Amino acid sequence: MNRDRFERWLRNIYETQDEEISCTECFDLVSRFVELEASGQDAAAQMPQVKQHLNQCPACRDEYETLRDLRRLEEDGEIPSSDDLQDLIH
Amino acid sequence: MLSMSDTRTNEEWLNDLNASGEPQEAAIADLRDLLLRAVLFFFSRNLGDLERLARDEILQLAEDCAQDALIAVMNHLSEFRGDSKFTTWAYKFAINIALMTARRERWKGISLDQLSFADDGSLAEWVMRHKSPGLTPDQSAIQSEIRENIREVIEQDLTDKQRRVLIMMVFNEVPMDEVARRLDTNRNAIYKMLHDARRKLKNRLQARGFEVGEILAIFTVQR
Repeated sequence: MNRDRFERWLRNIYETQDEEISCTECFDLVSRFVELEASGQDAAAQMPQVKQHLNQCPACRDEYETLRDLRRLEEDGEIPSSDDLQDLIH
Repeated sequence: MLSMSDTRTNEEWLNDLNASGEPQEAAIADLRDLLLRAVLFFFSRNLGDLERLARDEILQLAEDCAQDALIAVMNHLSEFRGDSKFTTWAYKFAINIALMTARRERWKGISLDQLSFADDGSLAEWVMRHKSPGLTPDQSAIQSEIRENIREVIEQDLTDKQRRVLIMMVFNEVPMDEVARRLDTNRNAIYKMLHDARRKLKNRLQARGFEVGEILAIFTVQR
């Protein structure tokens, strides 16, 4: 484990709460979280348990970041077509 | 060019997907295209996971993921609460399936043993490794004590399953879904095991008087 990962892990240990939401609960709520962010609201303040879970869970965080970026592209009307995306696969 | 899929409101999506005949077929075709884009978007950002596959295989995998995502969305349609754009809600199914598929491809062919430390000595070795240079003797002693406490909790206070999951995920960086798949369980159960392990580690470190600021200062002193 390199130093960055160790530091992050220590932070995760200290930010551990007695009660944390599950991955299923996070999945259920993450679209609303992304929508709040997209509308300029403080999603972390309104949904602190989701934010906490995303900080702790690498799988849910990866999914959230992809969803957030996809939502932004959609807002700007810039989601590439399937053909264009296929061109990125090589 | 805008298609119908870009212009439907949430209500129109639900009406069309719940309709029959041509409106439903058109909506499903549009939805499937959007889900395929979400899968390809994820794949294009995680090509490292798929490097052992030929391009045609990746594209076929994307089609399969989009189809699975379409089925998942249709099965969960009644659960959509309208607290986001319908497409945002739908994309998350595609992204979830794409992520699990990509991670599975990456770790294919690697045995469970290779994902875990081979013996108990490895943790002790980890405690001795990565000694930060440039620390004062006092700081060095505290850093060793922290690592020693972490090792003790991992070796003595965690259950076998917690220890195994923690070593795989935290030390060997195996993705959560791959750990879950190998141990024949699910993401929730793995998260719970890690959560319990973190609580034990936090309680021990705090009981020994180590606070987060002090610990991070010592471990990041070289920055």
